[in-house]
Amino acid sequence: MVTKTRDDDGAKPEKAGGAKTAEKKSRTSPLLFYRQVVTELRKVKWPTRRELLVYTLVVLIFVLVMVGFVTVIDIAFGELVTIVFG
Amino acid sequence: MLTAFVRAFRTPDLRNKLLFTLFILVIFRLGSAVPLPGIDSAEIRQCMENATASGGGVYQLVNLFSGGSLLQLAIFALGIMPYITASIILNLLTVVIPRLETLRKEGQSGQARITQYTRYLTIGLAVLQSTTILAMAQSGQMFQNFCSPSLFMPNQDILTLITMVFTLVGGTAVIMWFGELITDRGIGNGMSLLIFTQIVAVFPSEMIRIWQEQDRWVFAVIVAAGIVMVAAVVFVEQAQRRIPVQYAKRMVGRRMFGGTSTYIPLKVNQAGVIPVIFASSLLYLPTLAVGLLGEDSTNPVVRFLMTYFDPTQIHPVYMATYFVLIVGFAFFYVAITFNPADVADNMKKYGGFIPGIRPGRPTAEYLDFVLSRITTAGALYLGVIALLPMVALGTAGASANFPFGGTSILIMVGVGLDMVKRIESQLQQRNYEGFLR
Repeated sequence: MVTKTRDDDGAKPEKAGGAKTAEKKSRTSPLLFYRQVVTELRKVKWPTRRELLVYTLVVLIFVLVMVGFVTVIDIAFGELVTIVFG
Repeated sequence: MLTAFVRAFRTPDLRNKLLFTLFILVIFRLGSAVPLPGIDSAEIRQCMENATASGGGVYQLVNLFSGGSLLQLAIFALGIMPYITASIILNLLTVVIPRLETLRKEGQSGQARITQYTRYLTIGLAVLQSTTILAMAQSGQMFQNFCSPSLFMPNQDILTLITMVFTLVGGTAVIMWFGELITDRGIGNGMSLLIFTQIVAVFPSEMIRIWQEQDRWVFAVIVAAGIVMVAAVVFVEQAQRRIPVQYAKRMVGRRMFGGTSTYIPLKVNQAGVIPVIFASSLLYLPTLAVGLLGEDSTNPVVRFLMTYFDPTQIHPVYMATYFVLIVGFAFFYVAITFNPADVADNMKKYGGFIPGIRPGRPTAEYLDFVLSRITTAGALYLGVIALLPMVALGTAGASANFPFGGTSILIMVGVGLDMVKRIESQLQQRNYEGFLR
């Protein structure tokens, strides 16, 4: 309970303060934005070589299996349609 | 690694989900093979072979987005496209119309209402598209001068045409239902899985075409380039920006809770393949409009669409539009699906905070800051991957519908990766290892 009321109290002045700063905030220049994009990308956790290899293989297998599956049923249905509709 | 696939089939309820999904896909393909009433199926197959053998580009693009069923005039000829278009339109409208926005915020029941509107709109679009297609087929434009419409449509009275329109619209409604069934009871997102199936269905014939038309080494280079692109897409899709979150320790009754540290995973491409699907289905509309208006070059609208938006000869305007649409939809979709204020609120409720940043509004602002920076990179990546093959191969005479075209690669790999990861997470829930051991 105690933590809850404190949280609620804390939220109100924050909101008021936040609205004020949002009005003052100036636009980010494109150059600064570009730099921020680069810094954020540096912090990204890119997949490791092993992860990349495994997932690429798994996706390739999955896609090939689906291609095979769909091709087989397509050929079967094609034949079926020829038989039924002439 | 491959044993994971086997294990997926050994787990009973996962097996049921997979089999259910495959079953739906089989029926979907069956409907894409059965011809409309009043269509001579032997004749139309002959027509299609003549037309595609001559290498008409429009046919292949149209075919790509209908899984080969449009040119056959099958009962599922419209494919999942009307549903996708309808859901784009409704997504866009929620931002514009306040009533829809309040519905969206209402939660479950409001969302159900929006889904209902999407379905109505889909039916409306299906009526529009089916009449367009039948008009094209009847006037002989669909196959241009390769065969006359009286061959494959022997009976052209009004009642037959009405029956055809009804069948096409009914087919679209069934496909829509299939998509929702897969989402609910199968595995993966039904809409993307169905468009994946449509692309996969034309893949072999496209590959065979290249094999026949090009030298062997060109074929090898194309396959190698395709694999590299798959790896590139996997690389970016797997990249995450992890925002650390610390949970405060707290006592509830006599027990301690929290005190753990986790992270919010923000993908570099948080929007996934949806922007690409949306953008390409919007660019498909000009082709359809030209079909509706007829290809006479006196009409200024047709001339405009033919010069700038003809998918066979990729004009820079076409590419620029495509790029802008993808980037725009990427930002739009991230903004719809991820709400920083909600996430920040939730974290605050459970005593979580990002180290160095105050809970509540500053946290929301920080999340927004990071998300917008990362999405910029992600959106540009989507646009570049989708356009790169067009630019590289457009000069060499290959067109947008090329099997390794960026759009189809992005959709195939994106949906494939999503499915594989869903299967993996289902496996891990049952204490099995996934693909990566």
